Amino acid sequence: MRYKILTVDDSKTVRIIVRKAFKGYDCEILEAGNGVEGLALAAKEMPDIILLDVTMPVMDGVEMLTKLKSDPALKVIPVMMLTAEGGRDHVLKIAKIGVRDYLVKPFKEDVLIEKVGRVIDLKPLSEAPSKSKSILDAADIVVIDDKPAIIQQIQEGLKHTPWRVHGVATQGEAIDFCARTPPDIIIVSLSLPEESAFTLFRLIRTNVKTKYTPVFALVVKTEAQQQQQAQTLGFSAIVTKPIDLGDLETKIAKAMNLDTSQRYFALEGSNLVMRLPENCSNPVLAEAAIYLKPKFSEAVDSGLNKVVIDIHQLKALHMGVIKLLFSAMQTCRELGMHFALVGNPQIISECKGFEDTRGWTFYESLEEAKANLGKAPAGAAPQLAPA
Amino acid sequence: MPAIEQISPVLIQSNISRAASDVFKTMLGLELMLGGGSGGTPSEAPRQAPGGIIETGPHIVGAVGFVGTVNGLIYLYLDLPFARHCTGHMLGMSERELDQAGDEVINDAIGEITNMTVGSFKNGLCDSGFPCTLTIPSILRGSSFSIEPISSVMRHTFRFECGVHRVVADILIKIGD
Repeated sequence: MRYKILTVDDSKTVRIIVRKAFKGYDCEILEAGNGVEGLALAAKEMPDIILLDVTMPVMDGVEMLTKLKSDPALKVIPVMMLTAEGGRDHVLKIAKIGVRDYLVKPFKEDVLIEKVGRVIDLKPLSEAPSKSKSILDAADIVVIDDKPAIIQQIQEGLKHTPWRVHGVATQGEAIDFCARTPPDIIIVSLSLPEESAFTLFRLIRTNVKTKYTPVFALVVKTEAQQQQQAQTLGFSAIVTKPIDLGDLETKIAKAMNLDTSQRYFALEGSNLVMRLPENCSNPVLAEAAIYLKPKFSEAVDSGLNKVVIDIHQLKALHMGVIKLLFSAMQTCRELGMHFALVGNPQIISECKGFEDTRGWTFYESLEEAKANLGKAPAGAAPQLAPA
Repeated sequence: MPAIEQISPVLIQSNISRAASDVFKTMLGLELMLGGGSGGTPSEAPRQAPGGIIETGPHIVGAVGFVGTVNGLIYLYLDLPFARHCTGHMLGMSERELDQAGDEVINDAIGEITNMTVGSFKNGLCDSGFPCTLTIPSILRGSSFSIEPISSVMRHTFRFECGVHRVVADILIKIGD
C-alpha cells in the first residue's frame, strides 16, 4: 500500500522540502497551497497524514484543522502541524483542536521523517528498483558484540566479499552507527549485558530508517531459550556460535535478497561459463538451478551460443550434481548452444562409473575448452565436445 | 501583561541571534556570526553600513510581520548570490536548475527563511509574555533602496557574517498605539 502524505503550506519551498525528504520512501506527496485547497484535496484523496502550516492566505491552518475535525469523514486523518508558529499558548490552543504532533520550523528532514514514521508505516524505496543488488555489490554490515574476537572472526570470514563489516561493542554505539550509516544487515549478540540486544532490536524496529533492516541474532548453539526469544521477537535469522561463516554468508545474501547468480555464471569473452563450487550441497544446487535457464537464455539473447560447464573444483560427484548437469546440457540443446565440459581427473574417473555419465567427455582446462568451442561453426547443431 | 518597553535590547538581540543562527544552521548547514547591532531607541535612525544597509549589488529582502500584544516587522537582507546559494542548498537545486526555475523560486525560499527566522524570534516574545502571530511573508528586490520606518517604532539592526556574505536583520517594533 502506498501511503499518501498531504502537505498544506503556502510556501512552495516547504512543499519542495517535504517532497525531497520523502523521496526515498514509498509514499505519494500531495500538495495544497492553503486551507481551502487542503480540505478539498483531503476529501478527494483521503491522505494517511496531513502536514499543516498555520499562517496561510485564503484559509489558515487553524481554520482548516477546525473544519477537518468537524467533518465525520475527515476527522480520522492524522494531522501534524509543520509551522513557524511555536509559542507555548499557540501550540496548546491548536493541540486542543486535535493534532497528532507538532513540528516547529526550522526543522531537519530526519526529524520530519521520524515523526511521520510514527504515524504511518513508511517503507524505504530500494535505491535502484530496476536492478537487483548482487553479491558483487558493496553493503554495510554492523556486528554488535562486546567480544572483539567474534567481530574479527566475521570480518576475516567475509573479507573475500565486497561487504564492509563494522564492529561495535555496545547498544549506544550501535544506535549512533545506525543513525550515521543505516546498515544493510545488523548482527547483534544476544549475550550483550542486561538483555540489551532485545532492547536494541526494539529500537531498531521503531526507527524508520532501520525498521526493515534484517537483524540477525548471534547466540551460542546451546542457548535454546534465547534463540526462542529472538524468534518470537522477530529477528530475521539466528546465527549460532561457533559461527559457520559459509552459512552466515548465505543467510546475509538471502536476507538482502541478493542476486547470487555470479557465483555460478559468468560471461567470459564470447562464452558463458557455468561453474560449480567445491562442495555442492543441496542448497547450492537449488540456487544454481534457479538461475540456469534465465542465464542461458540471457546469453543467447545477447548473441552468445557457447557454454563452458566447469566442474573442475568439484570434489565429489553425486546424483544432485548429475541432474543439474543434465538439465544444463538439455537447456543448451533447446537453445541451440554449444557446450563443453571441464573436469578434474577424479570427477572424470567417477563419471566413467555411472551408466548415464559414461559417455561424457571433458577438457582438462578452461582455456582448452574455450579454444575448442571457438572452432564450433556459428549455427551448427549443439554437441558434446570431444575429450 | 508586561509593557512593550520591557522588551529590552538584550532580549531582542538574543532572540534574533538565536533565531537566525538556528534557521541557517538547521535548514542550510551554515554558521552565522553576529557581527554587530545598533538602534534600540525610539525614532533613532539605524547606524548604516557604508552606503546604507544595502551595500552593493542586487539584494533580496524578505519581510514578515508579527501582530498581537506586540506589533512589528522584520526585514531580512541577503545579497542575490547568497540568496541563490541558500535556495539551491535548501531545495537541492543546481545553479542551472535555479536559472530555469526563475526568480519566483528564490523569492519563495527567502520568504520562507524569513518566515522561519521571524517565527522563531516572535515565539521567544510569546514565551516572554507577548503573544503575537505571524503575517504572510513578502519580498522586495532591488539594487539601491532604503526602508524608512514610520515614527513611533523602535528599530534594531543586526548584521550577521557568513563567510564572505552578510545577512542583515532590520527589526521594527511599534511602540505606543
